Amino acid sequence: MKRKIKTLDKEKRLMARIAATFDLKKVKNAFSRYLGSFSLWLITGEVCEREKIKPELCKTAKSGAPKERACLDGIEGVVKKAGRSKKIESFECPFRRHGFCYPLVYDGEAFGYIVACQMRNRPDKETLELFSYLIETGVRGIRKELELEELYETIKPRAVALSTVHTVHRLITSSLYLDELLSRIARLSMQIIRANRCSIKLIDSKKKTLLPKATVDLRTEKTKLKKVKIGRWAPGKAVKYGKSIRGDKYLATPLIDEDIIGVITLYDKIESQPFNHSDVEIMRTLAEQAAIAIKNAQLYKEQEKLTMGSIKALAQIIESKGTGIYVPKSSFLRIVQLIGQEFKMREHELKTLQYATLLHDAGELMVPEKVLKKKGKLTNEEYRLIKEHPLKGAKIIKSLKSLKSIAPIIMYHHECYDGTGYPKGLKGSDIPLGARILAVVGAFEAMITKRPYRVPLSIGRAIEEIRKNSGKQFDAKVVEAFLKVAGRKDIVSLIRKELYGAR
Amino acid sequence: MALGKLLKNKLCRDIARFFHENQSSIDTPRGIAMWVKEERPAVKKALDKLVAAGMLLDHRVSSTTGYSYTRDKKLIREVGKQLKNKN
Repeated sequence: MKRKIKTLDKEKRLMARIAATFDLKKVKNAFSRYLGSFSLWLITGEVCEREKIKPELCKTAKSGAPKERACLDGIEGVVKKAGRSKKIESFECPFRRHGFCYPLVYDGEAFGYIVACQMRNRPDKETLELFSYLIETGVRGIRKELELEELYETIKPRAVALSTVHTVHRLITSSLYLDELLSRIARLSMQIIRANRCSIKLIDSKKKTLLPKATVDLRTEKTKLKKVKIGRWAPGKAVKYGKSIRGDKYLATPLIDEDIIGVITLYDKIESQPFNHSDVEIMRTLAEQAAIAIKNAQLYKEQEKLTMGSIKALAQIIESKGTGIYVPKSSFLRIVQLIGQEFKMREHELKTLQYATLLHDAGELMVPEKVLKKKGKLTNEEYRLIKEHPLKGAKIIKSLKSLKSIAPIIMYHHECYDGTGYPKGLKGSDIPLGARILAVVGAFEAMITKRPYRVPLSIGRAIEEIRKNSGKQFDAKVVEAFLKVAGRKDIVSLIRKELYGAR
Repeated sequence: MALGKLLKNKLCRDIARFFHENQSSIDTPRGIAMWVKEERPAVKKALDKLVAAGMLLDHRVSSTTGYSYTRDKKLIREVGKQLKNKN
């Protein structure tokens, strides 16, 4: 039954296309050379509907009801005959005129007819064969066209889905920062499944609980981050049994790499649609890719921790060999990070800036200790040595391949926005943004910590000095961001705690 | 630019139609250029205009940008209406 309906639908589409694109007027003109003047029309349907063909009849047939009936009987007869034989059939009408009927056949069934009549002479066999050949070729072309369209319509959604999977793969494997990655996976999952909320939970080290790591809810900015025990609720069950758990309003998909590392749970599809089998399949594919990306990001995070540990150790060596002055690293690292965020720096740029903050005075290792610790005024030669430390620092750092990207920040962190700094006298935006940020934070650090040659300023005075030099020594935009950050209570208390050991 | 004005442009309209018909799709400018049968640079420009108008969302990474359809029901209805009118 279904097949019959499908076939009928195809026949209808084919007939509609033939009616819309087949130019019978042109066919008629071409054949009038062989057949003289005649009339040609299309019957769109399996049977001949009398009412529909009445307008096509000749004057003689229209001149009275009996004649009309006789004519219609004749046409109906030849249509039936052609429908049975599935080939062109010629006829002679009651008014001594001639014609023929060509059946349009699909899947062994006639679904329409082309009728020609009002010819003075009987059409010869060759002409009928030529007509059949022409119409058959045309119909075949239209059928092919429709089949291709149908094929395209069937393939396109799959191709679009495949392209989406490929794009998602590219987007999630491009990020090595876990927080950024998890939030991205959540957003992409919601986009593909058209859900309103997504939560990603990862298994804790004891493998008993799922810890919430990223939650995105389109309907509210406030999201609750809940721990879930493995085995409880849909996310816990998905992890326990290692398979998707689906309800009308939720879909939990385990993140499986070599073992289960967590779960992605989607809630509430838009338009209140229930989650379906196709959603399960799509999420399974996405979760496979996500699990690999998460594992890579976790490994990268471990590596980052190692790098940071090495850099901190190196910074301590620099500190002990240089001025020997304690620097409150945590607060400056935090300030630098917050300023970077104000400038919408990406995760890797923030990391680079933090490394540069810790190592910005690496070049002081090359400056004699007596010069660095000298209490009185520096001689010109000693000042020249001090001025060389950014270049020397950059040179040391450049030799470490993984830290190469921080070299420009170290090299230019003593440049002034108005071009009066050193070592190159760069101006404005020619100075890398990281170096402009470090210039402000470095100056702030120098002012509030003890130096051999002067007493430290209070935090308030140091901030005031920075503000005074905005647009001259420092980039005004960086100063603006600095003031915003340095004015935060948590930052002031962190600096105080590190500097004076009190809040 | 207002959405109505933007959808007067054929390329923007074709892209809008693609996303309206494939609302779960996320694709790169190269992929979308293939669906709408246009050159990639022109498609990229049109995509950025549609992002600015709020009709598309962009997911940027260093190597490429993925574009997806808005989740705003009202906007989706509006796009549907505009596309119907422009047919």
